[in-house]
Amino acid sequence: MKKEIILKKFSFIALTVLFIFSIHSTAAAAGLFGAPQTVSKEAGGLNTAIGYRYHEDTYTGNTDHIIRQNEIYSQAAYGANNRWEIYARIGVADMKILDVFSSTDTFTTTNKNDFADNRKYFGTLGSKGFYPINETFGIGAFIQGTYYFNKFTDRVAGNSGSKPFTTDLKVDNLWDVNFGVGFQATLPCGIKLYAGPYIYYSEAKVSLAADIPGLEYADGNVSLKNKSIAGGFAGIDIPLAKGFRLNVETQFADRFSSGASISYVY
Amino acid sequence: MKSYLTLSVLFIFLTVAYSYSADSSSAILPQKLSSPQAVLPTSDAKEIPAKSSDNPIDAIDNEYKDDQNLDYANDTFKEERIEVADPLEPFNRAMYQFNDKLYFWALKPVAQGYQKAVPEPARISVKNFFSNLAFPSRFLSCLLQADFSGAATETGRFTINTIWGIGGLLDPSSGKELDLQKQDTDLGQTLGVYGVGHGFYIVWPVFGPSSPRDSINLAGNYFLYPPWYIQPWYASLGVSTYDLVNSTSLRIGDYEALKDAAIDPYVAFRDAYIQYRMKQVKARTTKIFPSKPLEVNSPAPEPVSTGKGN
Repeated sequence: MKKEIILKKFSFIALTVLFIFSIHSTAAAAGLFGAPQTVSKEAGGLNTAIGYRYHEDTYTGNTDHIIRQNEIYSQAAYGANNRWEIYARIGVADMKILDVFSSTDTFTTTNKNDFADNRKYFGTLGSKGFYPINETFGIGAFIQGTYYFNKFTDRVAGNSGSKPFTTDLKVDNLWDVNFGVGFQATLPCGIKLYAGPYIYYSEAKVSLAADIPGLEYADGNVSLKNKSIAGGFAGIDIPLAKGFRLNVETQFADRFSSGASISYVY
Repeated sequence: MKSYLTLSVLFIFLTVAYSYSADSSSAILPQKLSSPQAVLPTSDAKEIPAKSSDNPIDAIDNEYKDDQNLDYANDTFKEERIEVADPLEPFNRAMYQFNDKLYFWALKPVAQGYQKAVPEPARISVKNFFSNLAFPSRFLSCLLQADFSGAATETGRFTINTIWGIGGLLDPSSGKELDLQKQDTDLGQTLGVYGVGHGFYIVWPVFGPSSPRDSINLAGNYFLYPPWYIQPWYASLGVSTYDLVNSTSLRIGDYEALKDAAIDPYVAFRDAYIQYRMKQVKARTTKIFPSKPLEVNSPAPEPVSTGKGN
């Protein structure tokens, strides 16, 4: 019996460590929306989580660009009555903007086409409310906003005419706000399935340090915004052992994003 | 004749030296020593409850008989005697006074002010945070003791508390569900587990009671405690001082209570320290080598029944 307990503990620790170290080191997390209903105890209590999200979307400035981000975050939340929850997240994220350095001028060549930067910090605040229709079904709403505290920066080099150049592209003040409505079905064993629509707005200021013919954003402080404003999300929240829960979610707006988090309920 | 005399002198010297360095062979095993310090046994004759009797003469007789029945060489009594050599007593007493003044004049007032300003849950969270940072020392100690289960538990605790405990501010690992308890061990205990004795008692300024063996723990903690790596040096000192003030704020009164209860506080703290460390080492040894017979851990014989009394 004792051996079994020790074995279980070892398996649990091993799985936890494996989960932590399986996350890519440059990965960073704004995050999932989660089930509409809080996972905190009914009497009120904390729950904490670690999560990862792969985010992909189309942003539009002067032209359209696909943006990819890996986000990893830590979350602390307080909820009560199975009805409401407030949460805060802090995390790091990388960013890749495809084809932003592609020149439109035949006399300008660059050493790369994509913008990439790593490990920038962000913070998220959010809240959600839930109304149970019956024992199985319920409806809820959430709002969450994220702000990136650091600038994403990448350097590009090349030749313009016969002159070599090196310049930086900066993505500053990236923020987003999301609002959504979720429908939830609670299955046996505490498994929660949820889905719903959401709207969002995201913006960042983009500027190139030098005016290079054929490169975008040389005129400075161009706003980069999300192309579509609405999307949908669906996910599942599964209770694991010993107070832990696994949440897996997919979001779709202009492109697919998905992620997972493991929460611990105090 | 000359060589006989030399051998005799050498023998006497070794005998005296051995008896003076008390438990240098093992902290676990209490040994007879000729330390000038008095020792406070944890159980003495005064603590034995008086037996009731209707006849007062019988009661007195019984009392004397109880005294006669007390076998001071009894193993039960022996194993609770805590003895340590104290060759540096004058220095130690001076350092004790220094630390005492440091506590009452500086640490306690600051800790009291801090206690009033910061609510207890927040102070407990800070304590958890610093305790979580001390993971490397506990982990390494477990490994050195070949306590792989303990090392795994510590790894699990550190991982879970760091991630789901908001950087270690909370301690979900100690909860009923996870039940991953902190391994109460350090490098000094590791040496103790392998039979290294205290040596002698020493009181360090600021750091307090210790021994040569446990001083290695102080040195080890310097390298294994991450706050000491903060640069510049005064920042790391500030962080460590804050840790000290915070932990003191959570146990104001403990020191005073023990001090007030003691006739000679220096002796009381010395014995309490040695006993506390000995019990820690004993607990670790029992955990790691459950089958290893320990003299100090041997079951006490049943008390001899006098056939009288209750």
